[in-house]
Amino acid sequence: MFANVAHSRLLPMSVPFRYFGAAVAFHVLAWAALLAGARDVPGFAGGLGMPFAALHLATLGVIAMAAIGATLQLLPVATRQPVRAIGAAKLLWWLLAPGVLLFAGGAAAYAPRVMAPGAALAIAALAVYAVLLGRNLWSARGMPVVVAHGWAALASLVGLALTGLALVARYEHGLALDHTAFRGAHLVLAAYGFMGLLVLGLSQFLLPMLAIARPPTVRSAYAALAAAFGALALALAGFFAGSEALVVAAAVAGLGAAGVHVVSLERSLRARLRPALGPAFALVRLSWVLLLASLVLAGAMALGWAPPRAGVLFVLLLVPGWLLTFLLAVLQRIVPFLASVHAGTGSPLASALSPEGPLVAHRLLHVAALASLLLAVLLDAPWFAHAAAAAGLAGALAFAAFFIGVLARLREAREAAPA
Amino acid sequence: MDFNRHISRRLHEEHEATLALWGRLEQTLAMRGHKPPTEEDLRLMRDCAAQIADEVTRHFAFEENDLFPLLAASGEGDIAELLAEEHATIRAAAKRFAELAQPGADPQAHWPELRALALELAERLVSHVQKEEMSLLPSLEDLLDEETDRELAGSYA
Repeated sequence: MFANVAHSRLLPMSVPFRYFGAAVAFHVLAWAALLAGARDVPGFAGGLGMPFAALHLATLGVIAMAAIGATLQLLPVATRQPVRAIGAAKLLWWLLAPGVLLFAGGAAAYAPRVMAPGAALAIAALAVYAVLLGRNLWSARGMPVVVAHGWAALASLVGLALTGLALVARYEHGLALDHTAFRGAHLVLAAYGFMGLLVLGLSQFLLPMLAIARPPTVRSAYAALAAAFGALALALAGFFAGSEALVVAAAVAGLGAAGVHVVSLERSLRARLRPALGPAFALVRLSWVLLLASLVLAGAMALGWAPPRAGVLFVLLLVPGWLLTFLLAVLQRIVPFLASVHAGTGSPLASALSPEGPLVAHRLLHVAALASLLLAVLLDAPWFAHAAAAAGLAGALAFAAFFIGVLARLREAREAAPA
Repeated sequence: MDFNRHISRRLHEEHEATLALWGRLEQTLAMRGHKPPTEEDLRLMRDCAAQIADEVTRHFAFEENDLFPLLAASGEGDIAELLAEEHATIRAAAKRFAELAQPGADPQAHWPELRALALELAERLVSHVQKEEMSLLPSLEDLLDEETDRELAGSYA
């Protein structure tokens, strides 16, 4: 079906790094779009415009892009199966990157006719990814826990694509549908489903690997997965049946899943062999707090106990809070690690390839941006949202400087290496 | 990660022992900062030097002679080559580290270089173990049948 058959699980560097590079660029664009539409953030209630564009630049452009790049390289490690179609892995990028640009650009310009081809490209990219992921999982020989999470994420991806198509058809052709239910289902399937379950699965081996610790028990991992998948099913049933009780039950089940996940990983990290965890783990822990907070807020919203503008707060906790924070934490560890793997003769240390200054700046600015955004929405203060988005943009530029710095140092190391 | 092959389990245990020792050294050096070493610090350094000279060297030789060819034959020669290259880098750094850490070399006088080398080796060993745990050991689960596994475990004992 696809050309360029790979035999090794180690992909050419250009494959994962094109995804990481695009994610870094979309990260800057997402905060820039949020800055441009900052005054609309506290009162955002859906609909096209800059906040919508920023949201999709973050979800599709940063989170999905980075998750796809990371899983293309890391999933074969877990499944003991190489990516057998390098050509497809490259094609996917060429569909997704312009797709995200068109979709977000169209949304920013209130132009559904531009969004539609962007959505089509993005869905085609996700379809190619689904085939690659499915083939890899089908022939997997290792880590059944990670594989089970992969299948659950794949199922969510199908639902995410279908609800996304329905929403685009509504914008472009006026298709009659229960917009609130479809929008809720799309958000939940994208964030907690596709990306969330990939994050949960990869965390089972990636975080212990980075921390030099034993993975959590298989039992705890399956318990978290079962609760998470059950929560998704309850949430979807709740949205389409209009049942608040089901949505509350979904939030409780989700909270249980997240609790088991976090506690089991904390136990694993506590028993690590290398005392130093590194500052990236501070961001990982922050992302866990925000995940739990998002689920508490979801339950409160369903019960009618939530503060005003809770919908925006929920999206902020979920997308830039949990998912973006987690992925940026992981990226700052795996980018220098993978760069050192591909450095060739001389094997430079990952720490020597990793510029620390931009990472420190990014951590501070990212946390400041998140805190300010949440406050801006709570206080209904658009000027505060401006400051938050400016801090986020500065943080994204610092992260871009880190990424470029890794590539520049890698180049120097390669040039300095004996022939 | 759980391994079913004897040889994978054995190598995994050795990885854990190496990381525990070098993790302790890394933490000790981090706490000490740039202050001069105590006698206890130097003893820990000598333990690490002895461990790398003895066990790690044996571990590396076994992997290079018996396991990397299997990995290469299975189509993962690039990974075998990468791991072998890291062995060479670690050996070179470990040789200098052992020279400086021995009591006759006056480690106090060479402390800045010794400290830097210890931190470099700790990071290299961690990174190397991460790669072997992700690539080599899982591959052995597929590449070795029970008989070959027993033979290799016997020869490595």
